[in-house]
Amino acid sequence: MFKPMILSATLLATSATFAFAEGHAAMLQSPPGEPFVQVSDVLPLPAFIPGLGTLFVSPDTLPAGPFLAYDHDGMLSATVYMTPLDELKNGVSYDDLAVGTHEVIAVDVYYNAGHPGVDVPHAHIVLYHDAEAKARLAE
Amino acid sequence: MIIARRRALTMGGSVFAALAAPAILRAAPLQVVKMQGSARGERVWFNPLGVAIPADSTVRFVNHDPGNGHTATAYHPDNFDRVRRIPQAAAPWDSDFLLPDESFEVTFTVPGVYDYYCIPHEMAAMVGRIVVGTPLDTGWEGPSTDTTDVSPEVLATLPTVEEIHARGRIEQKDGA
Repeated sequence: MFKPMILSATLLATSATFAFAEGHAAMLQSPPGEPFVQVSDVLPLPAFIPGLGTLFVSPDTLPAGPFLAYDHDGMLSATVYMTPLDELKNGVSYDDLAVGTHEVIAVDVYYNAGHPGVDVPHAHIVLYHDAEAKARLAE
Repeated sequence: MIIARRRALTMGGSVFAALAAPAILRAAPLQVVKMQGSARGERVWFNPLGVAIPADSTVRFVNHDPGNGHTATAYHPDNFDRVRRIPQAAAPWDSDFLLPDESFEVTFTVPGVYDYYCIPHEMAAMVGRIVVGTPLDTGWEGPSTDTTDVSPEVLATLPTVEEIHARGRIEQKDGA
């Protein structure tokens, strides 16, 4: 499941993240289009998750993501990563992960006990893209 | 419990034995078990964690967690080939995933101990125990003694039958 990430890290190095962020202006507004799918369309989760908003992810990048997090108006507000703690402990690293957009004003990292899709204890790493993003995603 | 004791003291001896059963066993037949979680999903839990009910009661599982999906799934070979932790004569159940505010009901007719879990949250020890009737009931089957199919954390979370009978409902506040 991590092949796409390893590939981008090996072949494209850091340029991959720039391409992701700068080459997909459409991702700034929901829906982001292929290869992303709305998480609530494929997993038993609410369409809008308080604190995370409406999530889209490319299935090939699970479990880490990036998950693109949109507010109620469809504005890209955060990029989220989900990293299982056991995998980190066992030596898995998640390198050169893409970001939804380069502007990041704050990062939250916190524990999550699990949910459909990532049903093991993991960390949420949330990159907020503007000053009001956290408030818009709150509820 | 206090109300039940007063009733027992004022009523005739012929009904005393029946009233001496746990108070919850004389309660209304519908019990609600909430599926809950902290705001960021650090903790998830069933509330109450343990509950005592009389036979033929219905339990309604309701997802009160606005940011998560949950299940209430009996430990039983019919559910993902798990080791049975409900009475042999009882039918297993699996609510499937419940989104916020969705619910699922199960009616319990066979006396005994029923253990269940939330599929995506078993690793977080989101489990519960329902005790139907008492060991004096015909067909009663006590708690599973298996320790091979569930984690030590799950076993440590499940309250004893004695605790559940003594308290009726074992509430969990914020997963603690």
